[in-house]
Amino acid sequence: MALDELDRVAANRGDPGDPSRRRLLAGLLTAYTASLIPWALAQPAPHADRGAFTALSAILVGRQTLDAAQATRLYDALAAAHPNFPADVQALLTLINERHVDPLQLQGVLDNEHSPLASLPRAIVGAWALGVIGSGEGARCVAYETALNAVIVADVLKPPTYAYGAYGSWTRKPI
Amino acid sequence: MSGQLSADVVVIGSGIIGALAARRLAQQGASVLILEAGPRLERARVVAAFRNSPIKGNWMAPYPPSPWAPHPIYVPQDNGYLKQSGPYPYPAEYIRAVGGTTWHWAAQAWRLVPNDVRIKSLYGVGVDWPLSYEELDPWYQEAEELLGVAGADNTGSPRQHPFPMEPVAEPWSMRRFRERLAPAYPVVANTVARNSRGYDSRPACVGNNSCQPICPVNAQYLGINAVEAAEAAGAKVVPNAVVYRIEHDTKGRIAAVRYYAPDKSEHRVTGTTFILAANGIESPKLLLLSASDTYPNGLANSSGMVGRHLMDHPSTSLTFYADEELWLGRGPQSPSSINTLRDGAFRSQHAPYRLDFTNISQVLNVTNDLIKEGVYGAEFEKQLRWRAARQVNVKNVLEVLPNPDNRITLSAEKDAMGIPKPEAHYAIDDYTRRAAEASKTDFARIAELMGGTGLRYSADGQFANNQHITGTMSMGNDPKTSVVDGFGRTHDHENLFVCSTGVMPTAATMNSTLTGVALALRTAEHILPAKNTHAGAMHSGHEASLA
Repeated sequence: MALDELDRVAANRGDPGDPSRRRLLAGLLTAYTASLIPWALAQPAPHADRGAFTALSAILVGRQTLDAAQATRLYDALAAAHPNFPADVQALLTLINERHVDPLQLQGVLDNEHSPLASLPRAIVGAWALGVIGSGEGARCVAYETALNAVIVADVLKPPTYAYGAYGSWTRKPI
Repeated sequence: MSGQLSADVVVIGSGIIGALAARRLAQQGASVLILEAGPRLERARVVAAFRNSPIKGNWMAPYPPSPWAPHPIYVPQDNGYLKQSGPYPYPAEYIRAVGGTTWHWAAQAWRLVPNDVRIKSLYGVGVDWPLSYEELDPWYQEAEELLGVAGADNTGSPRQHPFPMEPVAEPWSMRRFRERLAPAYPVVANTVARNSRGYDSRPACVGNNSCQPICPVNAQYLGINAVEAAEAAGAKVVPNAVVYRIEHDTKGRIAAVRYYAPDKSEHRVTGTTFILAANGIESPKLLLLSASDTYPNGLANSSGMVGRHLMDHPSTSLTFYADEELWLGRGPQSPSSINTLRDGAFRSQHAPYRLDFTNISQVLNVTNDLIKEGVYGAEFEKQLRWRAARQVNVKNVLEVLPNPDNRITLSAEKDAMGIPKPEAHYAIDDYTRRAAEASKTDFARIAELMGGTGLRYSADGQFANNQHITGTMSMGNDPKTSVVDGFGRTHDHENLFVCSTGVMPTAATMNSTLTGVALALRTAEHILPAKNTHAGAMHSGHEASLA
């Protein structure tokens, strides 16, 4: 598999990242998955398990950058909550790598095949998007203001409990 | 038995209603003791609890119940405190803590409309109140000035004097509803206990959009503000005092109440006058618990009506995508509504209702929907923004008629203190269901005028509850059919009064808190009139009687 090809993809997208760090993450991907997250290739990947998590996360949430400290926190929390988490992440990444599954089709594919990995995307996207690990009485919150669902709309909204602005500032057109 | 307290007036319950009655009486010179089953909370800790909660859509999460004073919790699991006998569930929520349930509310501080108190005479349904809207007006005004209410004159509720404050600045989203629904539906500013300017040393709203579960900045009036005002007037609050029995003497007057501390040590409190203000579920529970040989059906219950006529406001709703970006979540949560259906000749056929627009940020709901649908990849962010910008919701707030079969009773099951839990018996009748059906036409028209797509009606026959607990200790002139008289005095016990939304004989279409406060202020005046020289004499006779 073609690191050269990955480099070409990255170069075509104007990737400014450090090539040595990029290769760490890039080594986990195929040209197909790399094409989904070209900018994410510059993300640090301290070791393979965490690198696979970062790559899979970037693919699932469609983000080109992910906060490294948050990735570490979420990985640790998810790994503590899910037995076999690193192996499952590797397995799901491999599946996407090899079968070129469109992220939008992924859940349907896993559900249709009754895959043991079917619950994994929701767990990972829930962690990133809501800052919540687990569900029911075992659920816990590990992020709020930095959860992606706050970050994605941060140009328009503040997370509830944070002041929007001076009195009446909300009368203006949002964008 | 350890500890013995005494006061001129003993108030059971420290919610916004009990606390403001206590404040008024303390201001008249009475010694006032407020007994609260739950603990004292700190605003900053509630804010932190919300931010750290994994279930942010559940506004009870930052208010976990105390082992000694449980309250109902349903998420993630039903804690089984409010037992359900059906046939329709009544999953009421309330908070047992100093300040009570208005720790989290949308601060909707509505008056009734005048005809709400005469629906039997005018429409042949429900019952008439023992007092007129005009009699309530000055008490509404006093309540509005205490709470700091902002509103406009176009909601259908007349008034003699101006609102304390101008309406809160209209969010962009609500402006667009108002502009696009006119002239079919006039969208008006809600009447709210939320500051549109600095008021009573509290700041103007800054749009935290977390009115429920907690206003972090004190721009919205809460029960804890009422408690602090009562304390400033001289009232004393005893938290963690779980009243489990009201005692009467041989003449039928109330002599004392007994409470457990969390360690289950027993305490007795004597007084001259007693006010039961522990909400529309815990108050009737306590009256029923206090049955004696003389009053085998419970106190204040010669009519058999204690706990009966349970009412609330069920809601059905429509969620859809508007054809323009509205971005709910900027400004306060509940800014605007349609009030033209609160009254009319149709009330002889079906319930009236208010149509209420949410301005709660849709980000959480949209995120949950996308995860549920498995929308991943670049489409996740794109869809999250598109939906959060356009998703809106309108709900009805439906009147429920008083029905003696809808009631709170004592469960055979007991809580950790050994006190029977409350049990709800509830049904939603055809009068209310017909209104829900009628409002679907309004929902559809509103969606059409907003260019709505992706219309999602709440499931037929499914109602959300609004936690406006009313009716369980109804007021009336006839002791055979009501629990308290028009001033909140129990028919059966001369010195026992009830201050609660539970005394409302009908529920109307409006959030009940302001009416409950207005009635309580009127009760307080009845107990101890302002500027009455007797007040001073009463005080001097009892001062320093608090332990």
